[in-house]
Amino acid sequence: MNSIPDLRVILIDDNEIDLLLHEKLIGFQQISRTVISFVNANKALEFLSSNITLPKIPPTMILLDIQMPEMDGFEFLQAFDSYPHKIKSQCHIVMVSSSLDYGDITRTNANPMVIKLLRKPLLLKDLKETVEGIFKDFL
Amino acid sequence: MKENRIRILYIDDEIHNLNAFKASFRRSYEIYTATSAQEGKLLLKEISVQIIIADQKMPVSTGVEFFNEIKDTLPDPMRILLTGYTDVEDIIDAINKGHIYSYIKKPWDEHELHKTINNAYEIYRTRKQLREKIEELEKTNDELNRFIYSTSHDLRSPLMSVLGIINLSRLDNSVTDPNGYVNMVETCVLKLDDFIQKIIEYYRNSRLEVEYEKIDFNTLLNDCITAFKPQNTQIRFQTQVEQAVDFRGDTFRISVILNNLISNAVKYQKPEETNPMVNLAVKVEPHKATICIRDNGIGILSEHLNNIFKMFFRSKNNNKPGSGIGLYIVKEALSKIGGTINVESKYGEGTQFEITIPNRNEFDT
Repeated sequence: MNSIPDLRVILIDDNEIDLLLHEKLIGFQQISRTVISFVNANKALEFLSSNITLPKIPPTMILLDIQMPEMDGFEFLQAFDSYPHKIKSQCHIVMVSSSLDYGDITRTNANPMVIKLLRKPLLLKDLKETVEGIFKDFL
Repeated sequence: MKENRIRILYIDDEIHNLNAFKASFRRSYEIYTATSAQEGKLLLKEISVQIIIADQKMPVSTGVEFFNEIKDTLPDPMRILLTGYTDVEDIIDAINKGHIYSYIKKPWDEHELHKTINNAYEIYRTRKQLREKIEELEKTNDELNRFIYSTSHDLRSPLMSVLGIINLSRLDNSVTDPNGYVNMVETCVLKLDDFIQKIIEYYRNSRLEVEYEKIDFNTLLNDCITAFKPQNTQIRFQTQVEQAVDFRGDTFRISVILNNLISNAVKYQKPEETNPMVNLAVKVEPHKATICIRDNGIGILSEHLNNIFKMFFRSKNNNKPGSGIGLYIVKEALSKIGGTINVESKYGEGTQFEITIPNRNEFDT
């Protein structure tokens, strides 16, 4: 797959095995060399807000889990929505969940900040298609 | 009996009316009296009554005004207005606004007043029962939703990780697996996931109509055995199906029942048992099917037998705690399709469940 220059991927998931799996898949597909993992959505928010000092925010794909303790995916989205345009416009959020809950699914689909909901286990094919869909202008 | 008597507060500025009321009704009701709206309000702070009767014409506050004031803080008691003269406008207004249940003309007719009080109480009681039922239903619905949510997440999430690991191991070819064990793991995980999804489905559809279709018990039992055999390959499954007549029933609920009972029979085997077995017998008759699931596992303590069908009950004396939900689902599913269940168990020797399910074949319908 053609790599997108300086694309970085941020993974947010409380399940460390899933983080590892997703990291490996991204590496396998050579989607990005920069993968930053967070087991806690709060920490990810902190990291993103520290990015404000960067002269240029790199294109970013965020794979966000739904159910997490402390701060869940929806709470993350709500908090992130108040972030400066400079950061938000560079971040493309994809939800990744094993949830079959009707409420979770409809809430995800209704959220304008979410590009797509991918089911766990994350499949290479889905991941590839999603990245290509988001960054088609770069390729 | 006295505690169950209807409690009435009667407010009237004419003391002889209060006394007359007490004289006529004190044998039938528990009566509290007040000579003014103010006094009545104080009394209501201490005592909860089911019915409030107030005279319309009183100094300071009229009956209608009094009811108006208390209707927000005390919406439950039934309000009856007593009026000596025909101030029709006020009464019509009060009734139309829903402040009062009824009005009685003074001097009252004892029989009529009795009837009005009893009718008012009947409404009070019905409303209260309705409120209690609604609360109960809300609680049950809430439990149900939480259960569905935790099933769809807590149980599925680790399973999906396993599938993810299997997928990855295939991508990077890091696992040498000449005997295809990884495939077997995947098959089992998928089956289990399928079952989890079915449970969710079952709850989601618990309010939908039961659907009857033709069931072949040989196929159904074989499906179950195939699903559970990998969990303990030592177990010898014996099946005996007598199905001379067609059977119609709700496939989904019946497989939920069988899955749960067979799963328990497989799970709760004695570790030291050299000949673990699960015996499944089905006998179909024109009007019912009897299914017997017998194992020689660890058995259930007799003092726990009454509780095993309760939600989230877990028998303590085993080192394999379950979810506490399986047999509850079995019972719920059976009650949906009009079936019954009996359990016999000897601790240390084994357990036998016998279920009967009505046969909804053509003769029935």
